[in-house]
Amino acid sequence: MTDDEKSLEDVLESPGWAPIIASLISLVGLFDSVYLTVKHYSGEPVPCSLVEGCEMVLTSPYAEIAGVPLAALGAAAYFAAFSFSIMTAFGNRSFWKLFGVQSVLMAAFSIWLLYLQGFVIEAFCQFCLISAGSSIALFLTYLASKLTFRK
Amino acid sequence: MKQQKKKSNLMPFVIIGVVLIAVIGVVAVGTGLIGAGLWFASKDTSTKPVSSTSNVPTQKPNYANAPAGAPIGVNMTGSTTATVTVEEFADFQCGGCAAAHPIMNEVKAAYAGNKNFRFIFRHLPLAIPAHDKSFSAALATEAAGFQGKFWQFQDLLFRNQSSWTSNPNYLQIWEEYASSIGMDVARFRSDMDGSVAKQRVDADIMRARGLAVTSTPTVLVNGTVVPATTAAVRTAVDAAIQQAASSSAANAVAPAANSATK
Repeated sequence: MTDDEKSLEDVLESPGWAPIIASLISLVGLFDSVYLTVKHYSGEPVPCSLVEGCEMVLTSPYAEIAGVPLAALGAAAYFAAFSFSIMTAFGNRSFWKLFGVQSVLMAAFSIWLLYLQGFVIEAFCQFCLISAGSSIALFLTYLASKLTFRK
Repeated sequence: MKQQKKKSNLMPFVIIGVVLIAVIGVVAVGTGLIGAGLWFASKDTSTKPVSSTSNVPTQKPNYANAPAGAPIGVNMTGSTTATVTVEEFADFQCGGCAAAHPIMNEVKAAYAGNKNFRFIFRHLPLAIPAHDKSFSAALATEAAGFQGKFWQFQDLLFRNQSSWTSNPNYLQIWEEYASSIGMDVARFRSDMDGSVAKQRVDADIMRARGLAVTSTPTVLVNGTVVPATTAAVRTAVDAAIQQAASSSAANAVAPAANSATK
């Protein structure tokens, strides 16, 4: 067997399609967070719309941590998730473990943010919902890769 | 073979780098770090006339046929014969509208006395649970307008939004505002419940629907949606004023040329 050939075990244990899907989901979360970060720093008012109360969420005290907008922290997290998944997709499988740890943390944090929107602020922001959905989807993708490929 | 493997080893870094550059670019342009220069360069009309094919966003296609909204009166500042109309659709419980309020005041101040400029405020109280007092706030502003205090009352509502927006005694707070600016509070209360104020607010909502405006604040400059920032609104207003001036100059030149050829 040459270096370039993979054993059946390698293939079964590799995350396979999951990093590709994870990288695409990360891009959605990344550009969603970047949009909100730009809105935050440009000072352009986030519009209120007929379907949600985005401005209530984004102007709440929970929208920043130590003066840093959550959106910017989210953008950094999504960029890291994207990088880990791309590295994994190109064969650096150790990054998938890092991705796994990060996806668990991001999903847990997103669930807490959903709780804040639903029960504390009592308003939902569609951009925040996209981000929460992306985080949870990243975790589910990781989980699915583990259940599918780990025997 | 080795070279090919080296290339594939570099590929993830290339992809990550491209995404990083895209993110930095979006942030830089979006926050105006490099965008302001490009924006103003693209809108620089000092040496060339504004053309209809410029990259200024196009007017809402239904602008001319949309319902007129509440008759223009106290909800307007500036010249009634102005060639440039800035129209703001806002909701008094919208945090973004409160943030845009000083921006709109800046714009109004910048063109105060300019006969080509007028500003019209339109109500768009959003029918969402979080904005349960928006419609009443719009009625209150109209009621204040009947006593010539439309702008003062509007200013009080936006500046003190956080004080009344979650307060069950908001009507009492508004009456205190009305009293503080010298209004007849009993008349204010009855005008708020009257049909005229409601008709005016409803008319503005119908105009918003006709223009497919569904979010607040929405700012239109001669029917074109522009971001609610001082720079964006002023750039659009300046361009529209210049465009109107160019058109009137062209109209003046055409008859003169015709008469010269006779």
